[in-house]
Amino acid sequence: MSGRYPGYDVLAKRHTPSWNEQTRQVIDRRLALPREPRFLAPDEFATLEAVCGRIVPQPAGRPPVPVAAMIDDKLHANRGDGYRDHRLPPLREAWRRGLAGIEAEARRRHNAGFAELDAAEQDALLRAVQEGRIAGDWEGMPPALFFAKRLVFDIVTAYYGHPTAWNEIGFGGPASPRGYVRMEFDRRDPWEAAEAAPGREAQARRDNARIG
Amino acid sequence: MPASDDPQLVPRGKGGRAPDPFRVGGWVPMREYRDDEAVDFAVVGTGAGGGTLACRLAELGFTVVGFDAGPWWRPLEDFASDETHQQKLYWTGERICDGNDPLVLGANNSGRSVGGSTVHFAMVSLRFRPEWFKSRSRLGYGADWPLDWREMWDYYARAEQALKISGPVTYPWGPKRPRYPYRAHELNAAATVLARGAEALGIGWAPTPLATVSAPRSRSPPCVYRGFCVQGCSTNAKQSALITWIPRAVAAGAEIRDLAMVGRVETDPRTGLATGVHYCREGRWRFQRARHVVVAGYAIETPRLLLNSADSRHPDGLANSSGLVGRNLMVQANQAVYGTMDEAVRWYKGPPSLSLTEHWNYEDRGKDFFGGYCYMAQGPLPAGWAAIVAGSRGLWGEALRREMERYNHAVGLKIVGEVMPDEDNRVTLSDETDEYGLRIARVTFSYGDNDKRLIRHSLRAMRECLEAAGGVRELWEERDDTAHLNGTARMGDDPRRSVVDADCRSWDVRNLWICDGSVFPTVGGVNPSLTIQAIALRTADRIAALAARGEL
Amino acid sequence: MPEQAKSAAGLALTSFAVAAAAAALENAWRPPPSADAAPAPERRAAAKRLNGAAALLAGAALADSATEHYRGAFHNKIMVLPLGVAAQALGASLHGAAARGHRASSARGLGHALALVTGIAGTGFHLYNLLKRPGGWSWLNLFYAAPLGAPVALSLSGMLGGLAERLRAGRSLFGRLPGRLVARLAALGLVGASGEAALFHFRGAYHNPAMVIPVTVPPVAAALLLAATLSPRWTGAARGALRLLTGIGVAGAAFHAYGISRNMGGWRNWSQNLLNGPPLPAPPAFTALALAGLAALKLIERER
Repeated sequence: MSGRYPGYDVLAKRHTPSWNEQTRQVIDRRLALPREPRFLAPDEFATLEAVCGRIVPQPAGRPPVPVAAMIDDKLHANRGDGYRDHRLPPLREAWRRGLAGIEAEARRRHNAGFAELDAAEQDALLRAVQEGRIAGDWEGMPPALFFAKRLVFDIVTAYYGHPTAWNEIGFGGPASPRGYVRMEFDRRDPWEAAEAAPGREAQARRDNARIG
Repeated sequence: MPASDDPQLVPRGKGGRAPDPFRVGGWVPMREYRDDEAVDFAVVGTGAGGGTLACRLAELGFTVVGFDAGPWWRPLEDFASDETHQQKLYWTGERICDGNDPLVLGANNSGRSVGGSTVHFAMVSLRFRPEWFKSRSRLGYGADWPLDWREMWDYYARAEQALKISGPVTYPWGPKRPRYPYRAHELNAAATVLARGAEALGIGWAPTPLATVSAPRSRSPPCVYRGFCVQGCSTNAKQSALITWIPRAVAAGAEIRDLAMVGRVETDPRTGLATGVHYCREGRWRFQRARHVVVAGYAIETPRLLLNSADSRHPDGLANSSGLVGRNLMVQANQAVYGTMDEAVRWYKGPPSLSLTEHWNYEDRGKDFFGGYCYMAQGPLPAGWAAIVAGSRGLWGEALRREMERYNHAVGLKIVGEVMPDEDNRVTLSDETDEYGLRIARVTFSYGDNDKRLIRHSLRAMRECLEAAGGVRELWEERDDTAHLNGTARMGDDPRRSVVDADCRSWDVRNLWICDGSVFPTVGGVNPSLTIQAIALRTADRIAALAARGEL
Repeated sequence: MPEQAKSAAGLALTSFAVAAAAAALENAWRPPPSADAAPAPERRAAAKRLNGAAALLAGAALADSATEHYRGAFHNKIMVLPLGVAAQALGASLHGAAARGHRASSARGLGHALALVTGIAGTGFHLYNLLKRPGGWSWLNLFYAAPLGAPVALSLSGMLGGLAERLRAGRSLFGRLPGRLVARLAALGLVGASGEAALFHFRGAYHNPAMVIPVTVPPVAAALLLAATLSPRWTGAARGALRLLTGIGVAGAAFHAYGISRNMGGWRNWSQNLLNGPPLPAPPAFTALALAGLAALKLIERER
């Protein structure tokens, strides 16, 4: 990823009026998340990490967003959505079955664990799950439904709930007490991300260095 | 935050004081009532219905205790600018969703706070089209409301004044209404796209009337356009019940008990009348005696409570001789069309829906369906947007990340569409129980044929609008979303075909009232919050009138 | 600060310096006048007062256009121009207000003419900005598009400055008595400024009772001023109203500062609130026009 918003970091605004105390505490906790699983077993966590690596593949050269750890944290705290589709078991059980099902499918296809497969094989397997081309169900849980409503949902909302991802997409980030002034097309407040027009990367980088 | 301060663990509404949401760490005195002395009204739920009613009843001189399962937030200190963390505003107790189109609950329809869903709603404050109050007789579908639109017109005005709704100087649709108390907000780029498209198509559009102030109001500063409206307003510009009706209620002598889950409404076996509510607070079940009970938990928790209050006299749940408690669940269709522009839109700035058109609420020609819809501009934040993109388009991997990189160039329109009442769409009790030992709700929903035709029409209309606006390309559809909940304790003038009468008084138990979105016989094509508050204002007046005549 | 803002600020400072320098140089270079060509002392005094009013208006226009065009990100390059023109008009007006000499200055006169023309052009640009938005001529666009009345402050500065030069030159003002002409101009300006305040206070829903003051007092003062041009009976009342108005302009700026401070985040959030909040440079326009009106009253009294 070349980076549309070179040098942009929402964390640079931590001590500007764009962040309040509660936000700092919340984001600090998220950034300090332990990388070791507290709910999933080590082998389940390994599968999850590999799955996350395909659902939201991350570029080398920057500290990775610990998506698997964030999901383990969600499971550890049992933070459900407040409802569930009747065809799915509750949060923790759904993930347990889903990870087990993915592992089982990997062994069935390739005689190896999911984490041991190469990227193309992993993608093919995940696509099969998404499209419902998995034979049978996972202890009564439809794989395609698990994929859409649980697996992808939890992984992408975790990833895009992290400051690194906000930087990637040029999201303004936390905004309280200071919000935004300029709301028209192609207009940015000086504390927003500057987008690099083709050939104007250096200018965008300079602008992004000044947002703090 | 230390556990002793955590509003999700320790109630704030106790010890004779209530939080002052406008002052960091501030308190105001709050009257307290003894559980064993009957209060005039026990109100279950403090949102658009319960909060408004509790306020007005207290101001009219009744003794009132309001109960809410949720925390009593201090927006200035408790709210972070973070989607994930602010999930704490939504109902996180389990519900099971089934039917052909199982509902997605949470941000769009289920709050859990003092102030209810108004703490996280998008502030869209619209009036019903007058004919909708007589949908059956005037428009040929659904059911008639036992209310006259002219009376409701006046209550709408009162609600708009109380909330200082910021809206356009003249509103393009419907009969004349008084000028909105505050002026409309500036359009952001996303809202401008809708306006351009509407003008090109020759249909009307307007800046959306919103319950967030465009100028200072008392201790509320004006909106700072931070865009986290649906995650909770830490500016206090949003005129939620938490900062409007609730403080007024407390000032008028009401007591509000937060973190108080009402599990059962008790009735007297001899008289059949309600005697009070069982509620769980700080780990103990208690019973508050009351002369009247108002259930205002919104369209899932209200029927759940009534059904859970079943006893030998009422085996099918309270107030359910009609069999309609829990039935006729209506959501509103919330489909959307999105696209991409070369210009940067950056829709995270400002309230999500700064412009709308109600054209298809008032135009009946060219429709192959009953009912109407409005559509409005959108502005989802990253995690919510990722869920939409991944969910609707099945994208993941590099494809998803590439699409998400275009976040600042996305633009879109979303409907609030009328869904028809259907008795098979309903809330029932499942056999699972929650942490209080109460049976949890099962929510069954399927779209009907009329709903599907409306949705098809709306997707086409939104496409046309984006295309007409110019500069929007690569359009795609979000087909899988709903918003709001209504209908599960409908009002009517026939006890066999309704649960409550026009005064929101249940037919079966004359001191049991229901005052929230459950009472809607039809749901209309506009967000329900203003209508719920107008109904609550009317109900308070009716209660006062009945009390004066000794008919209470 | 983004690049365009820096260039704009540089241009403004340069223009200011250039204008003041040009006027000073011209004064120094010209031969001394003969005594009998000197205009009456009261005209010189009135001219200086008008220069003062023009300076205040130019300064307000500079601050206002700088803030608002910065907010508009100088998206059209021409948005830099009013900063330069207002700055040089400020320079010229200050020079005129301070000038001990009684000679008219063509350098200053040119500066004032430039301000007049730029203000008119600016109104045209602002009107285009408003009309091109969806809804065209609508309340929403009157509230949030480029404000139509703002460039007029620059034109008024130019007109008052130009009138000051003609007063000094001893020439008649388009065949009319100068006092009455200035009075009518000031009255017109007051009504216009009051209309602008009315519009934006309407946008603010008159949430504070004091917001009716700039909507009521200036039109009354303008009416009294016009009445004073017709009959001396009204001079006293007009003078009183205008003096009140000079204070109101200052009080208005204080109110606006209070308004900025009560927005979310207060002064700490200046990067948003100075741009969003009620504009500090707007109320002083009333002070400026009131001063011009008072100068006109003095002239009228002499002329009777």
